[in-house]
Amino acid sequence: MNETITRVATDIGGTFTDLVSFEFDPNTGRSRVRTAKVETTPPDYEIGMIDVIRKAGVDLAQIDFLAHGTTVVINVLTERKGVKVGLITTEGFRDTLEIARGNRPDFFNLHYRKPPPFVPRYLRRELPGRMDYHGREMRPLDISPLKRILEEFVDDGVEAVAVCFLHSYANPAHEVAAEAEIRRLCPDLPVVSSHSIVREWREYERSNTTVLSAYVQPVAENYLQRLNDKLTASGFRGSPYVMQSNCGVDSLSATARTPITMVESGPASGIWGAAELGGLIEEPNIIALDIGGTTAKCSLIENGDVRITTDYWIERDRKSAGYPVMVPVVDLVEIGNGGGSIAWVDDYGKLHVGPQSAGALPGPAAYGRGGTDATTTDANLLLGRINSEYFFGGEMEADMEAVNRAVEAVGRKLDLAPMEAARGIVRIANNNMVNALKLVSLNRGFDPRDFTLVAFGGGGGMHAVELAQELGVTKVVVPADAAVFSAWGMTMSDFRRDYIVTHLTDFEPHTADSIEAGFRELEEAAREQFASEGVPRSNLAFKRFGKFRYQNQEHTTEIELGDQRITASRVPAVREGFESAYEREYTYRLDAPVELVGLHLTATAQVGKLSIERRPPSGRDASAAMQATRSVDFATDGIHDTAIYRGSLLEVGMQIGGPAIIEESGSTTVVNPNCSAEVDGFGNIVMSIGI
Amino acid sequence: MPRDLITQTVIQAGFSAAADEMFSMLRKTAMSPIIHEVLDVGTGITNAEGQLLGSGAGIPTFVGVLDKAVKRILELHGPDSIADGDVFITNDPNYGGVTHLSDIVIALPVFSEGKRIAWTASIAHWSDVGGMTPGSMSTRAVEIFQEGLRIPAVRLFAEDRPVESVMDIIAANSRLPEFTVGDLWAQVAASRRAARRIRSLAETYGLAAFDSAVERLLKEGRRRALAGLKRLPNGRYEIELEQDDGDVWRAQIDVSDSRFLVDLRGNPVQKRSPYNTSRDGAVISAQMMFKAVTDPELYANEGSFAPLEVLTEPGTIFHALGNAPHGYYFETRIRLVDMLWKCLAEIIPERLPAGHFASICGTVIAGRHPDTERNFTMVEPQMGGWGATSARNGLDCMFSSSHGDTYNCPAEICEARYGIEVGWKRLNLADKGQGRHSGGAGLSTCYRPRSRVVVAAGYSHSRKRVWGSNGGGPGGTNSLSVKRRNGHLERHAFVSDLEVDLGDEIIIETATGGGWGQKASGTAEMGDLGE
Repeated sequence: MNETITRVATDIGGTFTDLVSFEFDPNTGRSRVRTAKVETTPPDYEIGMIDVIRKAGVDLAQIDFLAHGTTVVINVLTERKGVKVGLITTEGFRDTLEIARGNRPDFFNLHYRKPPPFVPRYLRRELPGRMDYHGREMRPLDISPLKRILEEFVDDGVEAVAVCFLHSYANPAHEVAAEAEIRRLCPDLPVVSSHSIVREWREYERSNTTVLSAYVQPVAENYLQRLNDKLTASGFRGSPYVMQSNCGVDSLSATARTPITMVESGPASGIWGAAELGGLIEEPNIIALDIGGTTAKCSLIENGDVRITTDYWIERDRKSAGYPVMVPVVDLVEIGNGGGSIAWVDDYGKLHVGPQSAGALPGPAAYGRGGTDATTTDANLLLGRINSEYFFGGEMEADMEAVNRAVEAVGRKLDLAPMEAARGIVRIANNNMVNALKLVSLNRGFDPRDFTLVAFGGGGGMHAVELAQELGVTKVVVPADAAVFSAWGMTMSDFRRDYIVTHLTDFEPHTADSIEAGFRELEEAAREQFASEGVPRSNLAFKRFGKFRYQNQEHTTEIELGDQRITASRVPAVREGFESAYEREYTYRLDAPVELVGLHLTATAQVGKLSIERRPPSGRDASAAMQATRSVDFATDGIHDTAIYRGSLLEVGMQIGGPAIIEESGSTTVVNPNCSAEVDGFGNIVMSIGI
Repeated sequence: MPRDLITQTVIQAGFSAAADEMFSMLRKTAMSPIIHEVLDVGTGITNAEGQLLGSGAGIPTFVGVLDKAVKRILELHGPDSIADGDVFITNDPNYGGVTHLSDIVIALPVFSEGKRIAWTASIAHWSDVGGMTPGSMSTRAVEIFQEGLRIPAVRLFAEDRPVESVMDIIAANSRLPEFTVGDLWAQVAASRRAARRIRSLAETYGLAAFDSAVERLLKEGRRRALAGLKRLPNGRYEIELEQDDGDVWRAQIDVSDSRFLVDLRGNPVQKRSPYNTSRDGAVISAQMMFKAVTDPELYANEGSFAPLEVLTEPGTIFHALGNAPHGYYFETRIRLVDMLWKCLAEIIPERLPAGHFASICGTVIAGRHPDTERNFTMVEPQMGGWGATSARNGLDCMFSSSHGDTYNCPAEICEARYGIEVGWKRLNLADKGQGRHSGGAGLSTCYRPRSRVVVAAGYSHSRKRVWGSNGGGPGGTNSLSVKRRNGHLERHAFVSDLEVDLGDEIIIETATGGGWGQKASGTAEMGDLGE
């Protein structure tokens, strides 16, 4: 009998579909990793998925655990390709979705455009009935108008219904009743209630989240169904897990009911990968940085824990209020600054990089597809950091003439020589990223020097050392297979759900019992839900968090509470934990009562076990992987003759002194002059930065 | 090459990042809901002399306040007496406070190598600073003394330690001392955080590079303003506008390629009622309109306003002196913006929307929470309808032009925090400005207090309808009414100490926006999507 455990992740992105397969034999302790990449195949994405599995030579019948990540939800939202939704809400509040929060971030602009609601007014309908904020019924729900409303919805071509009532986070009874009646009246009409997605207050955010979930639900369900059918037909014997925004995976059936939870799954899997890698290399405090083609994303991992937030918005920036999606999402900062970000000079002679991106088409000037704008990638080519002779691992020829022209044009506007301009582009891009990295670290009171920077994505290794120098970080890790690191993170993820509920109470010894009861209720709900997915109760692991604040404040600080009971005697220690975290972030404490505002429970179940082995040093010298030397411009660190290494030839234990460049097919790692690199037992490039 | 262009850009980005960081910290730590939800707060970085370098997100009316406050602090204390470790506090328009006593400015001088290089400052609306009415904004005030504690630009910290006596005076003068202490620390901490960042810029790149980045930034602001000014038609434009109270206000705007002169002389004398603004406040109104028509980007520094000149007459409502009360200065200021906006819309109708509801519709409800029995003061502006533009219908339910990244209070939070039931909250479509494009919807909200409360409110445009543009029809009016338990309906515009009992309803209806352009005959109006 074959006892090898095989975990596979497939990650469908806009351009490529990636695969990472991890095989582990518990008898011998041997493991094997395979990766593969094919082009994404819209609109029949499942074809690309089967292609990549075949290309990697993985036997579908042997897969024990299959995780799947997809951008389908975020694509449906940004391309406005969802279905027509009708909203049922509380009497007096049908305009909540349209009133939104009334804010105008672009505040000098009198021509601001308010984001229009996803459901127009005539499809927003009301039912009498009210709960108060304690969840007590003030007026009973009257479901009698539903019949007529649904008839009109059907006549108007509504394809999914969202239900969101005031204070349903405190008591969902009215939503439960309305949803049941809708299912009874229209069994074929998909319906989503707010309480099944969000149990927190703020009616606009909850309504919008429910509406967006309904908007994407039929499309996503159809996608997941086709995928599952195709996998089954191709010999897969299990059911795939779907990557979520909270860094975990969930079952296909649960995801099909509320697919909105997938919205930020791509970035989440990379950040989870960084957290898992941290565990592997015994670095629990990580700053994760993912530099892709159009954006850079960063997140802070403290003590092995990723931070989860429900304060997530799409299409929100300085020019627009955007739309809230109140689901558990990994807390990250994203900026429009990637390899394809365009460098431009404004009317007043100032250089900017991003947020506009050259995208895949025309792409950077170097692609030779007609792009005339200089991008960060073009600047890196001109400076010799990216090898023009080994562009995309030699799969593409860099159009250096176009690069020269594009960077020269930027230089002319700044009165700078092309090389100076290229240095400027890289410095501005780095500065944008440093400011984002400070947002997740310094601005929250963390000292970056206590952290290891894990940099991945196509551009992670290119910029990591310079960013680390700016931040004072002394250790940088560029993971093995950095370009498919998101898929790697997926193979490492657990079956996970985050339960976040509003629970407002004074935090005093006498309230401990009611708080404990609140957590128990959540745990019981989690056990039941997981049991219905076939996960035994004993396999579940819980972690509790509380959201605290000083009385009268609005924003909260989340504190880990472990898995022990909340008792009156623990209250002072927990309070001290809150106050010290508050002081770290905001620099002071107050002599004021503390409130608990919300409970957060994470429930995880490991699906299939595997462990990754550290390999011994090969004993060979890095010179075996050295390809050539060339002149490379390290901007503020000067121009140096630099040794070039081929990443695929590097072996465990090899050491490389800077300045050096390590080239792989999908990424380049820059080792600056004052730092050194070593390949660790897992194949990661670990760099130490001299001070 | 410390003075190179790229380094300058990096330093300049640091100023904005520092102001943003202050803003986000304040928002997360403040006690008063008007700070953390309404974002009635501004943050700013100035150079050593108080010239604005960058400001945090928030509201446009607070951009350009902090520089004036810092300059006044410098003038009052003398630059030589200001030391590392000082923090100053002011709220009085006569002492650099610019607005009204409820807005507290906290300013911290930043030192590097023993030299003052910058200031990090914030302004935030505290829920209560004493005075004759809860929430400190009485429509009956005849002197500033009735509007709360006057803090005349004094030292709050020396050598990094609080001046306890000042702290004690401040706490003792509020009905909600735990809020004032919380808000005060939030502002101080935000200033300190930003100061650290500014200091590190100077240390990393050196003072010479720092200074040249500052100089170049201010120059760039000026260049941007002048470029915008060139796109406006030169000329002298005049306007007179009757207000709700029957007063007629006037302004004259002189536009040339190098100067934008707003002459506000000849306006009504200052009042023994809280509708006066300091000269600084009037200048800020002019700055907002100037910015909106010359360079409506978020980018703003001292240079952005360099071509603007404002003439005011001491002793008038736009240049109040002495003990004049200022509590509702913001209504005077937004009405002034509204008048300048209309004046310019008559010249360049394609470039400006028609009139919007043009009032803060400030609403204060104070009482005791029926469940927790704690005192509360809800201080909130209202949303309303915006005017149509040459291209589209007006926006529905947005905060006024004086606001920005301001958030309304969710009904669910209102009910929990104040124990006030929200009966409904919906679009108000009454009297929409007609035209080729129609005005946006206002707001209709009903509050049902669950215990006795006291209400204060200030609603402009309660009698005079919102103006349409380029032949478009007028929009609606703003009102706050109380429907008594016996069915009697009272309509109010400016009111204080209004008692509302259990069983009564407070009904807020804000104006729809003005229409734009004449409706072509025979064609249907372009309605809002889905109505």
